[in-house]
Amino acid sequence: MLQRNKLYWKICIAIVLAIVVLGYTPLLIPGGKYQPMILGVPYSLAIGFLATVLLVVLTFIGSRVHPGSDRKEDES
Amino acid sequence: MRTWIYIFFGIFFLLLALASWKSYRRNRSAEEFMLAGKSIGSILGFLTFSAALFSAFTFMGMPDFFRNHGIGAWTFLAFSDGVMVFFILWFGYLLRKKAKEHNFQGVAGLMVSSYRTKWAGVAMFASAFIFLIPYVAIQIRGISIFLEAAFPGMLPSWGWALFMVFMMLVYAEIGGLKAIVYSDAIQGLILLLVIWLIGATSIAAFGNVGDVFAAVEKVNADLLSTPGPKGLFSWQFLLGSMIAVVMIPVTQPQLTTRLVIVKNLASMKKMAYAVGFFAILVITPTIFIGMYGAVKYPDASASEFLSQALLFDQAAPVAALAIVGLFAACLSTTNAQIFALGNELRSLMQGEEKKVMRITRVSLLFFAAVVFLFSTLMSDQLALLARVSFTGTAMMAPIVLLAVISKMPPPKGVIVLSSLALITYLLSLAGFVPETLGGLRLDLWLYLVLFAGTLLIVLVKKSLKTT
Repeated sequence: MLQRNKLYWKICIAIVLAIVVLGYTPLLIPGGKYQPMILGVPYSLAIGFLATVLLVVLTFIGSRVHPGSDRKEDES
Repeated sequence: MRTWIYIFFGIFFLLLALASWKSYRRNRSAEEFMLAGKSIGSILGFLTFSAALFSAFTFMGMPDFFRNHGIGAWTFLAFSDGVMVFFILWFGYLLRKKAKEHNFQGVAGLMVSSYRTKWAGVAMFASAFIFLIPYVAIQIRGISIFLEAAFPGMLPSWGWALFMVFMMLVYAEIGGLKAIVYSDAIQGLILLLVIWLIGATSIAAFGNVGDVFAAVEKVNADLLSTPGPKGLFSWQFLLGSMIAVVMIPVTQPQLTTRLVIVKNLASMKKMAYAVGFFAILVITPTIFIGMYGAVKYPDASASEFLSQALLFDQAAPVAALAIVGLFAACLSTTNAQIFALGNELRSLMQGEEKKVMRITRVSLLFFAAVVFLFSTLMSDQLALLARVSFTGTAMMAPIVLLAVISKMPPPKGVIVLSSLALITYLLSLAGFVPETLGGLRLDLWLYLVLFAGTLLIVLVKKSLKTT
């Protein structure tokens, strides 16, 4: 179980890193362009919003699979 | 509107009095007073962390940022916060482990015992003092100007500032950190309610969400993309901001302390994602308030726009709640930061507990006086000054990160490296060092140098040990 959690935790980190890298490329912030509008919202804002929600969802998942525990915290 | 203001202020002060009464005990230990007994649950934990993070800066600075610079403000703060809450899972765990090993009293004290030199603590305290005081002061200034507009002729803005600093001191001295945590929770909930009420009004003024952006497109289409009409939100600015925001829980003691005082790791993990959801909830309406301002008040000053959008364009109960919400936001954020400075100073001192606490309480008075003085001198660029504060303290991140990662005392060279980066950043703020070098922003250069330099120092220490 712990090994599986460690793997999931690493996957979460990898996805977060990928989102961060993409977040500062023209994919998320194309200079001077706001089309296509998504549901009436400018492209960068809509995608940025979705990316932020994804980061928070990954934090939620990460909080479940993070290998640290209170027991480990006390073992110091 | 005044009747509503008196009603809401009455309820707010009653809640504060209840919180003080619940927190006050005559024979409290220093740990109970300064660190709330390290027993905060996940709900109070996430509310106090959120309230310390999202303050008057979010309520006033973010709408103005969206109005002037456009939708890139989302990436500037909300996206960065998303990265930060994930980072908290990793950092918070290591920090709490270290805090237990060293009987945490404050970040500066933790650094002294980790590095085994007082200079690590002095550097942390100095950076917090230099960058938190102006940050707190600008929030007090912003709200005192706002209150002056809401109650014309009652008090000058400096009078409101003095009133807030006085309130803050009395509250903190009576209740300690636990009372501040309660007031944070009250403030967080008021902030969320009022910001959504005003956000919804701003959308309703145009019809629906799509209509808001269609109206902005007609007025100033540059606001709908990055880098925005004034070119502020370049990828470099946004990346630098993200690093600074992610480092907030590492280097801003009022937030670092909140990761430690949560009662257990499970609560801290819950707190992390709850703060993320709160960030989305609280920043989203500021987009619409800002876009509303971009259409209705494109050329107004920050304070004119805010008093119109948050007060005079709202129904009386909403405007009254906005005033109370802003007052509450200012009170709890400044309380949190001033109290954190006091705690940092305490963690650097040794000796009899009663004497240390006496000095700490006097230091709170001193910090509050400095904040009041600064608040009469500041400009109204709330969001930009917040970024300066985050970036400035981020220069100290290697000191803290290395301390929580290392099992042995970390190399002291990192303290020198971080201090040099801090001085360089200060010199750039004073105009003695250029803001960009070779096309790259100075803050990104400094992060690169800090990363590479820290790595080099650690590797050199390791190789010296093995030889």
